[in-house]
Amino acid sequence: MSQRERRSFVVCEACDVSKEVDDPNEAVAFYRRHRSITGHDVAWGWADFDGLESSSEDDLASVIAGLEDRFEDGVPLGIVSAAMADAGRTIGETLEAIRSLRMDGELYEPRDDHIRVT
Amino acid sequence: MTRWNDGTDATASVSPDITDETNALPAKYFTDPAVHEMEKEKVFSRYWVYAGHANAIEEPGEYFTRTIGDRNVIVLRDKDREVRAFYNVCAHRGSKMVDDTPMTDPGSANGIRCPYHLWTYDLDGTLRSTPRSFETAGMNPDLEDEDVPKLDREDNGLMEIHLDSIGPLLFVNFDADPMPLEEQAGTLKEELESFPLEEYELARRYVSEVECNWKTFSGNYSECDHCQANHQDWIKGISLAESELVVDDHYWVLHYTHDEGVEAAESLIEGEARFYYFWPNFTLNMYGNADGYGTYIIDPIDEGRFQLIADYYFKDSELSEEEQEFVKLSRKLQEEDFELVERQYQGMKSGALAQGQLGPNEHTVHRLHRLAQEAYEA
Ligand code: FES
Ligand SMILES: [Fe+2]
Repeated sequence: MSQRERRSFVVCEACDVSKEVDDPNEAVAFYRRHRSITGHDVAWGWADFDGLESSSEDDLASVIAGLEDRFEDGVPLGIVSAAMADAGRTIGETLEAIRSLRMDGELYEPRDDHIRVT
Repeated sequence: MTRWNDGTDATASVSPDITDETNALPAKYFTDPAVHEMEKEKVFSRYWVYAGHANAIEEPGEYFTRTIGDRNVIVLRDKDREVRAFYNVCAHRGSKMVDDTPMTDPGSANGIRCPYHLWTYDLDGTLRSTPRSFETAGMNPDLEDEDVPKLDREDNGLMEIHLDSIGPLLFVNFDADPMPLEEQAGTLKEELESFPLEEYELARRYVSEVECNWKTFSGNYSECDHCQANHQDWIKGISLAESELVVDDHYWVLHYTHDEGVEAAESLIEGEARFYYFWPNFTLNMYGNADGYGTYIIDPIDEGRFQLIADYYFKDSELSEEEQEFVKLSRKLQEEDFELVERQYQGMKSGALAQGQLGPNEHTVHRLHRLAQEAYEA
């Protein structure tokens, strides 16, 4: 059981389901699928990935900027959402905020679902 | 018989009759990514597939979307209160139009507008209007405004999909000329329509992702030989000896008697649980010990994962305490099954087994495997 608890997972409270994830972007894929059939948001239960550091920042752009050096081809959306979980943000909220920063030209996507500051 | 992957590379067809030989569907049909792609066409585009429940869209203009394979469809009620289904694809340049909208949280609109260039469609799918830029030729020096052809409303409308229903249960079929739903459903249609399914409200939807092929879970759902060992809380109230199994062409049903069922006056059926499986991926679950029913959609994500969409319908969408308890027990049962099928799938993925075999009482699993094989060979 303790083994299980140490693995990263996301949860949907409304459905009372959790889903283990090995790759941070798998959480994003789960969120998208889950949301498309329930409308529910999804949050991180526990996240532990290489390069992820808990930060006291809750400003999205600075969190991304802080992670950037560690991810050469862009920061995976899943990592950003996990970093923002410390500030109480759900995956849906973080993705929404990322989208609006992108639309303002502050972020770009060097490859799918990976972002960097412009 | 069992066939191992021992270098001989041999598998046989699913046995036509389970009483003489008992070949299961070869394992590669559960684990091969190419099979998953093939099933999108041969299974999910040829048979009637559950789209959702009519109660979710009672008023004209209400709609939800549903994704089946790679196809996203809009299911809506039009001005004449007819339910229709359209590809969620614009007739102009093919944009996806409506955002994903689950039936648990339906949308409402008096037309469908594509966000790309604002072509707008009526609820019956005909083209209602286009912006001025499609009616004048200001940017095209070779064309006069009056020579711009008028777009025919019907010819430039949305692509409709065959839709039919069993009571309030809506099914779609992507085939250009599908077999009638009555034919696929057989006696299931009349049987289910004898119940007042439309009088019950959607109360809960639980969605889980499971690490196995969709047919692995379907097989598990279709038999209860594993129940004694694996669902000890549930099995207590059930007389397995009095269970009965009925197998028709495209569906099968398991009947169980409950020690303490609900009275028929307030329930769909008295004291008897029935689990209907309707090929390819829909189940209807009637609970002899609760006044309500549930449905499962067993949607593949890829060859090794599926989504279980579990919907629960009760007299009132506000659940009583007993009903909440009941749904919790049902969720627990699902979790128990998820563990079983994930473990089975890990074994299958190892590649050791080329073809399993079925037990003499696993008619329903046999039917499932035969239907899959028939679909692949068609
Ligand atoms: S693609 Fe829909 S209006 Fe252009
Ligand atoms: Fe089970």
